[in-house]
Amino acid sequence: MKGEYNVPEDVYYTKEHEWVRLEGDKCRVGVTDYAQNSLHEVVYVDLPKVGLKVAQMQSLGTVESVKAVADVYSPISGVVLEVNNTLSDAPELVNKSPYGEGWITMIRPEDLKKELPGLMKALSYKDFLKKITEKK
Amino acid sequence: MARRTHVYEYHRKHGNIVEYAGFNLSVWFEGIIPECHSVRNHCGIFDVSHMGRVLAEGKGAESFLNQLTTNDVSKLAVGRGQYSLLCNLKGGIMDDLTIFRIGSLRYLVVYNAGNRDKNWNWLLKNKPPSDMTISDVSDNVAMFAIQGPRAGTVLWNVSGVKLEEVEKYGTRDVRVAGIPCLLTRSGYTGEDGFEIYVWNTSVEEPSDAVKVWEKLLLGGRELGICPVGLGARDVLRLEAGMCLYGNDVDENTSPVEAKLNWVVHLEKPDFVGKNAIMGLKEKGPSRVRVGFRMKQKGIPRQNQDIFVDAEAVGKVSSGTFSPTLSVGIGMGYVPPSLAAVGETFTVGIRDRRVQAEVVKLPFYQRRSENQVVVFGEEMGLREFRKKYSSSGQPTVATATH
Repeated sequence: MKGEYNVPEDVYYTKEHEWVRLEGDKCRVGVTDYAQNSLHEVVYVDLPKVGLKVAQMQSLGTVESVKAVADVYSPISGVVLEVNNTLSDAPELVNKSPYGEGWITMIRPEDLKKELPGLMKALSYKDFLKKITEKK
Repeated sequence: MARRTHVYEYHRKHGNIVEYAGFNLSVWFEGIIPECHSVRNHCGIFDVSHMGRVLAEGKGAESFLNQLTTNDVSKLAVGRGQYSLLCNLKGGIMDDLTIFRIGSLRYLVVYNAGNRDKNWNWLLKNKPPSDMTISDVSDNVAMFAIQGPRAGTVLWNVSGVKLEEVEKYGTRDVRVAGIPCLLTRSGYTGEDGFEIYVWNTSVEEPSDAVKVWEKLLLGGRELGICPVGLGARDVLRLEAGMCLYGNDVDENTSPVEAKLNWVVHLEKPDFVGKNAIMGLKEKGPSRVRVGFRMKQKGIPRQNQDIFVDAEAVGKVSSGTFSPTLSVGIGMGYVPPSLAAVGETFTVGIRDRRVQAEVVKLPFYQRRSENQVVVFGEEMGLREFRKKYSSSGQPTVATATH
């Protein structure tokens, strides 16, 4: 499989291949280029309900291909403010634009100061990807 | 280490390899969705060399096979085949298989890769009589499937044989790339097509198999032939309402529950599992296999619970998103009271209960060049494409070989 993945520097990453971007006092969450590439052909996104309270690394929903289901874990604790409803009709946006139009939810963070340092920046996520793809 | 098939090099170069039933095989080449569309709209080629193949030969072969399988082997004319089941004494399904009578005293039995050792040991345990021989030729036969509306044209291009001259489930000796092969008009996709067997070619000496594979690819090139992986194979068989061993049938499932009575010939004098199957048929099963489609968004998956109100009454045995019908579909086991077409229940998908409706199987099947069956209902291809537009656009052939 291809070895080069898009790893933008304006977001933080989890080991489960989600990203989180700080936008004012809110956080936008999605899955990474590596995640969409491993799933291939996303056909369905099971979105959380607005108002859902999540703890860090609790499941927000799923991103599904024809044969596979991947949980989307919340990189941070907080409350779901908004979900990307466009994905109901165009789940393939997760493949086409994982860091843009394929975003999944907007979250009001609860404990960002404590949780953010535990997430990876682009450089460490790149190293992390290198390690897991080399294993294969 | 996982085993390889004769055309492993092709998988390595073009596919995304996974381990399946102990074999390294491609789960997809271009992608599950384009591969499904390719088979539905023109044609696809599958490497199914991992499957188990056994030759039973001699005077005693017919009655031996008839004793161990549920369909009636004595009804097979030379050059014909049948779908059948191997059952244990309790009437549970040990495997589903096909039997082809390829000579007056010669039968080819084809079964699932994951059951190769189990089935072979079972055949031996049942002591083939001295007037026959039985041989496991799995490692010395390569097997490819060409499926889709253009499969017949591929066959014509590579062998000068017309597929329509071979009956459904019929067999024929053909030469491809100068190599003698067996052809059977069969498959696992709900499309017309054929499977081809290359004799006497081992994984160590695969040149004949590779030649046939390449010839088939070449013969289908202008028709947009596309290599198809295990992912699309599973989706296509499910769309066609066909069972997968380990998902939809297993040793704890009776043919009566699986609604496979049509391949169980209870009028045969005796066969392994007959009493148990008859007993359950008289008593009536407590669960039966149904096909269903989702009425709300959501994709059913194996082992999810089926609910009526708050009560779990059944389980999903296979589920997928159908690229051909653009909806979540599945098969599962429910109480007979819930099995009629139009009955509704919910499927437990994570923490949600998603509505589903029992439909007639197959979900999709090709009837002829211009006719398809969709949810058990026959319709013209044009009407079908209008209604299910996502599969209406034949995908552009982007095969890279």
